[in-house]
Amino acid sequence: MLGEIVVGLAIGSAYSLLAVAVVLVYSGTGVLSLAMGEIGAFSLYAGLYAHDHGIFGWQPGVFVAGLLAVAGGGVLGLVVERFVMRPLVGRPALDGLVATLAVALFLALTELYLYGLDPFAAPSPVGAGTIEVGGAVLTATELVLFGLAAAVALGLYLFLTRTKFGLATRATTSDPVVARLLGVKVNRVYVFAWGVGGLLSGAAAALLAPINGSLTPFSLTTALLSALAGAVIGGLDSLGGAILGSMLVGVVTGVVGSRFDPAMSAGVVFVAVLATLMIRPRGLFGSPRAAT
Amino acid sequence: MQRPESRHAGAGVLLVGALLAPLALNLPQTSIIVTALCFGLVALGLDVLIGSTGQLSMAHGALYGVGVFTALGLGSRGAPWPMAFAAAIVLSAVVAVIVGLPSLRIRGLQVAIASLAFQLFAQQLPNTYSQVKSAGRTFERPGFLVDETHLYYFGVACTVLVLVLLNRLRSTRGGRSLLAVRDVEARAAAFGIDTGRTKLFAYGVSGAVAGLGGALFALQQASVSDLQPFILRESLLLVAVVVIGGARSAVGILFAAFLLKGLPGLLGTDGNVAFLGDVSQWLPPALALLLVVSVVLQPAGIGGVLRDLNIRLTPKGERLPPRPQPTDAALATARARMLRDVPRPLKERLPVPALLVADQVSVRYGGVTALDALNLEIRRSEIVGLIGANGAGKSTFFNAVSGLAPTTGVIRYRDRDLLLSPPSSRSARGLARTFQEMGLVRSETVRENILLAQTWMADYPMAAGLLALGGSVGTERELRRRADQALELFGLQHLAGERLGDLPYGTMRIVEIASAVASGPDLLLLDEASAGLTPDEAHALGDRFKALRDELGLTLVVIEHHVPLIAATCDYCYCLESGALIAEGTPAEVTAQPRVIESFLGRGTLQPETLRPEEVLA
Repeated sequence: MLGEIVVGLAIGSAYSLLAVAVVLVYSGTGVLSLAMGEIGAFSLYAGLYAHDHGIFGWQPGVFVAGLLAVAGGGVLGLVVERFVMRPLVGRPALDGLVATLAVALFLALTELYLYGLDPFAAPSPVGAGTIEVGGAVLTATELVLFGLAAAVALGLYLFLTRTKFGLATRATTSDPVVARLLGVKVNRVYVFAWGVGGLLSGAAAALLAPINGSLTPFSLTTALLSALAGAVIGGLDSLGGAILGSMLVGVVTGVVGSRFDPAMSAGVVFVAVLATLMIRPRGLFGSPRAAT
Repeated sequence: MQRPESRHAGAGVLLVGALLAPLALNLPQTSIIVTALCFGLVALGLDVLIGSTGQLSMAHGALYGVGVFTALGLGSRGAPWPMAFAAAIVLSAVVAVIVGLPSLRIRGLQVAIASLAFQLFAQQLPNTYSQVKSAGRTFERPGFLVDETHLYYFGVACTVLVLVLLNRLRSTRGGRSLLAVRDVEARAAAFGIDTGRTKLFAYGVSGAVAGLGGALFALQQASVSDLQPFILRESLLLVAVVVIGGARSAVGILFAAFLLKGLPGLLGTDGNVAFLGDVSQWLPPALALLLVVSVVLQPAGIGGVLRDLNIRLTPKGERLPPRPQPTDAALATARARMLRDVPRPLKERLPVPALLVADQVSVRYGGVTALDALNLEIRRSEIVGLIGANGAGKSTFFNAVSGLAPTTGVIRYRDRDLLLSPPSSRSARGLARTFQEMGLVRSETVRENILLAQTWMADYPMAAGLLALGGSVGTERELRRRADQALELFGLQHLAGERLGDLPYGTMRIVEIASAVASGPDLLLLDEASAGLTPDEAHALGDRFKALRDELGLTLVVIEHHVPLIAATCDYCYCLESGALIAEGTPAEVTAQPRVIESFLGRGTLQPETLRPEEVLA
């Protein structure tokens, strides 16, 4: 049981990185992004390909390949923001959702075209070491995931509440037009949301793929669905709520999935999402705005 | 706009092409086309949600699977094929409605997440529970469908049937309600539309069509072991097909489905074509890129490109037909009377019974009191003016009456409390209104918008309209006749077939009033009807108000900022400030009160006598 919970929490931590990426983009730009999984997966594919086959005679190690995935995710996020999302500012929210769906589809199908359907081996960027803590065996990947999820949560919380730019971000969230009139460079907020979102997506991909055992097209988008479920349950515009919701979904997936079967755990998550949207649409910790 | 004739001609050519296609194809190729057709059917179902209702489902791959495995499970166990098909259609519809349940509570994008969570759950089912796949059993085809070509014609027949039904949906109550939910959801209740039921209806229809596609696929495959057609990727591709094909463009969607699922197979079994390489390999990412580009640059998709082309090919001068001279003698006299411009002398209020009485009506949004214990009465056959500065609570009062605001107190309308009945029932009780910001659907024609406002009169169930049952045909004919009458009354008959959004703003406002009148009200609430009109147009509007009262016997409440219009048309006038009544009386009395002038115009900026109507209107 304890082992299953630990695995669930580790998966939940990876989901929470994706969920934070979604919440950042949602509260920064009002767009519910479905691209947050595949952005990381795409750059992880590139990193792992370089690790396996080398590029320009340079063959990075697993750790550097992971860093490449993180950096590549950030760059890809910026590219998507500049060339796809920015032209859509002011268009209906559904257009933004469809655009990110299109980006996810394009990235995943391109992965399929470039690398084929066979799963890519995804060694952990932090090695395969384990340590035992109080009866539970923790892998290095899991340990790093816990640390990273906590650091990201704390870092973003401090950033958004203690810095001027964080204030600008929150102002943009509440009303982009007024924020612009008050002198906030709204575009910078959009760039920040997509850039950091992309970095988080890369990190989630690099750490989740080894737990899943391999990397396949759409696998990170499938993980993103769990993260989205968590974000809806916790509150789409609440960082803390989204993290907690993702952890819950992760633990349910870990425990119910191994005690019963994966269909059962996915069913529990579906029912939970349905119940949240019917009973408390804003989620556990979301603001009323999250339910409009 | 696209002329109906050219649409019919295009559909005819396509149908002939579809019927002749098997002559040019071998059996494996025909089989590929049938698979593409199944996918296209599911996409058509999805378009009912995306294109017509503005809801996004990302679980249609899974709903396709529900149809497939239901039909397979029954058909492979000896059930006759019609039963297997019916069960697939019904179960997919029911599941789709469940996935759509959150849309009752929220309007946002989160509804789409429920569909994603369902996709995630459903795609695990055949993996985990192998009995879902009915492995080792086969769905035997009925005698008349053994040949692949026969199955192809059966598939074409199913598709034509779906297209006919969806076309019927568009021209009946259900389809119009969907569009109202898509474009003006918050106001749809004013047309007598129950938005929750309408959305679930859309999910149901959408799921049923997906189920039909699934049943057809099950019949074609006989047994299914490959789960690839039902995974998340397919659900996203279905959205792509609808967006690339163009929302509400059946031809575009079927074409996009053919492009994605049919073309690669037709070009060769391995997909290799000279110069182009392996098409089946690079086509999917290329289509996804096309999707990204089309969302950014051409939101209306292939169908939209076709429509734009059609508009560009029509010479500019021909787009809006010229206004015809009145031919009907009765119409000519009616207009002459409208234009006669005799301001009724201001006098005491008529001693007639009240049609609507507001008793201590309050509206509060959280800590903000938008309307504070308002008392007023509207008498039969009056034109009542409602004036006041911005934020005074005028539109809030309209929202309270039409049930769009959280209201306390009593609003007695014909001696019954309105607040006890649901908002969507009020148009049936003789209430109609217009909105400050257009409450109509710009993508549709003027006539369709008038019909939309008459929704409450279409007393057949939405599904009956789809199937042409329950007297829906006769009712629709009657509604069309009424709509044309209303258009004639407002001199709009020459614009009946024009897209509302293509008309000048002033004309759109008139269409909105015409649509409210067409719904057969006793009490008409007009919210800033003259906003955005030229002074001449506004003046003519005042004459229209009087014609509506004198000739149709309507009672009107008008919110107006245009004081001369109030002075020239209103029998009685209420002035609001910060949610409370500050003055009432004839327009002359009210506009002469210092408190009103102060509230309306600021202190000391205008002398009261400036407001005398005869001077302003001279």
